[in-house]
Amino acid sequence: MRKIWLVFKREYLTRVKTKGFVIGTLLVPVLGIASVALFAFVASQGSKAKFRIAIVDNVGGLGESIAQELDAPAKANKPQFTVTQSIEQPSSSTAAEEDLRAEVNSRALDAYLVIPASLDQPVELHTRNPSNFRVIAPITAAVNEALIEARLNARGIHVKDLSDVTRGAELQVIKVSAGGEAVEKGQTIGVAIGLVILLYMSLLMYGIITMRSVLEEKTTRTMEVLISSVQPFQLLTGKILGVAGVAFTQFLIWVASLGLLLPYGAVMAAMFNPGSSFPAIHIPLSLLISAVFFFFGGYFLYSAMFAAIGAACSNEQDAAQLQWLAMGPLVFTMMIYWTVLSDPSSRASVVLSEIPWFSSILMPLRISIQPPPIWQVVLSVVLLILAILGVIYFSAKIYRIGVLMYGKRPTLPELVRWVRYS
Amino acid sequence: MDAIALENVTKSYDSVTAVSGVNLQVREGAILGLLGPNGAGKTTTIRMVMNILVPDEGSIRVLGLPVTDKTRESIGYLPEERGLYPRMHVRDLIVFLGALRGLSEAEAGRRAGEWLERFGLGDWSDKKVADLSKGMQQKVQFITAIIHQPPLIILDEPFSGLDPVNAGVVKDIMLEMRDRGATIVLSTHRMEQVEKLCDSICLIDHGHNVLDGELRAIKQSYGKNTVHFEFTGPDGFLDHPSIATVNRFASGVEAKLQQGADPQQILKAAVNSGAQITRFELLEPSLNDIFIEKTHHA
Repeated sequence: MRKIWLVFKREYLTRVKTKGFVIGTLLVPVLGIASVALFAFVASQGSKAKFRIAIVDNVGGLGESIAQELDAPAKANKPQFTVTQSIEQPSSSTAAEEDLRAEVNSRALDAYLVIPASLDQPVELHTRNPSNFRVIAPITAAVNEALIEARLNARGIHVKDLSDVTRGAELQVIKVSAGGEAVEKGQTIGVAIGLVILLYMSLLMYGIITMRSVLEEKTTRTMEVLISSVQPFQLLTGKILGVAGVAFTQFLIWVASLGLLLPYGAVMAAMFNPGSSFPAIHIPLSLLISAVFFFFGGYFLYSAMFAAIGAACSNEQDAAQLQWLAMGPLVFTMMIYWTVLSDPSSRASVVLSEIPWFSSILMPLRISIQPPPIWQVVLSVVLLILAILGVIYFSAKIYRIGVLMYGKRPTLPELVRWVRYS
Repeated sequence: MDAIALENVTKSYDSVTAVSGVNLQVREGAILGLLGPNGAGKTTTIRMVMNILVPDEGSIRVLGLPVTDKTRESIGYLPEERGLYPRMHVRDLIVFLGALRGLSEAEAGRRAGEWLERFGLGDWSDKKVADLSKGMQQKVQFITAIIHQPPLIILDEPFSGLDPVNAGVVKDIMLEMRDRGATIVLSTHRMEQVEKLCDSICLIDHGHNVLDGELRAIKQSYGKNTVHFEFTGPDGFLDHPSIATVNRFASGVEAKLQQGADPQQILKAAVNSGAQITRFELLEPSLNDIFIEKTHHA
């Protein structure tokens, strides 16, 4: 026990004391907040300048109603247009376009719209920046609306009547849970996807850190010095716990700084962009606890595999090839989590979330969307713990043999033989 | 009581037999030279004594006890494959390894300071291992092997990478430890150090021990069968039928005699051939010669 503690302490302290840890831990929340603030700032700036547009209407009658549509005060977050002129049935369309083109090039105008004499021809938008989708969508809508209005008027139907008749109801999605009801504005799916990505990245990152740590002891030849006084199993356990401690410290700092900075970020966003409503994100405590539990369960499962791979290899290149053995299930989880997200209680979702290699990501995902029956959670926890014990047992065997092996990267059959041999 | 006792120890990997039926006793308080060509099975033998590997057959006792994780706390081990965490501070590293070998961290820290001073590394104790030269790292490694004052010390090539001054310091410390009653096993390829330091030797080849015993007795058993010549003039007399092999050096020639040859006959032949003899000395064979003879199977 004392030796596991010593190994744990060394692993933890040397990692926490590095510049990389300090920078990484502090930078992530700072960058997160900075990017939220920057995004809010950019979004609020975009709509300030008016988009100047001219219309050449070769049909007649349409230009005026398009101008009316575009000139109307824009909604929040939408670009504001100003129609500088609307030319109805010019004697020479080409001459009018010539002038407007010059204005666009001299930046007196941002774009001009040409409505052809026959509407079988496409309507043309001439602009310097053809990839500005923010303005293209509302212009298309305005043109279509004016067109439909003109056609309806020709048939003697009043547009106002028609829109009254065809107006649909708005559908508001409200999430029902044990805690009550909350209006759904995408926060459930946002939290779920955020959780999946966070779990995946953390499992991968800390797993690889563990692998590198084992590999470092081999490449620097510290290994034999160590295992002449520590059993390989103690070394493996101490190391995995040490990296887990680092992960826990990092999460704690992140959660604390998020708690402090999130209100600040929301205030900043609201200041720059008063129209936007920030849906209240409520993360239940039960979700937080299960996410932390399943993360550490998954971490022990994967890091034991990563550690065995590190022990089996003698250099980074070999390890980079073998690490797919451990990364495979993680990557697979990322390919299938969508199934669970869209239907968390389907048979496939239930089965996948019970399998230990996937459950560390998929079970917290299910809990975040729609809490599953308690027996399913308990079963998944039990299976995860059994898998951890099994993987650590086999990893320790590979570890025990691998730590003293140098040279060629072992093949898979060789690894199986190591397990049987020890 | 023997510090180490190996009885009929055998160890095989997959298809290779690394150690086969080795018997070895290391007397307490002695310095034993563990010799053998590359791949002879020395490292495997040491690893079994350290309980890193488990023998397939036979028994190993350390200080009278069967090998366990407990027995290895009484062993100071400097492996051949050795290294240090490059990003750790020198003192922290020594304390960590000292604590793993059973010392309290406070005691390990105190001893680390003393040893670093003794090796002239006092100013380096708060530097990172990566900043140390190879020789300095070697000294730190030696400190980590002996910091818990073990009664049994196993050193695999302890002098590699050390300059003559530091090699001298290490040698002095080894003798000091021996005088305090420690037993030392020295595995090396440098025969002149074995001749200077070791009381007894064990020679392993192809997994078998082919020669072991007190160094002095072994050399005596070979008799004075080597002649050291220094001379000027013709060297035709070296073709004399009584001479088995000739080894030329800058200063002279070492000739190994045939079994039962009379050295006086060769001296006579040399004088008669017109060579000016400035030195003629009868010697016991060097350990180097014994090593080559015992391990040469051509």
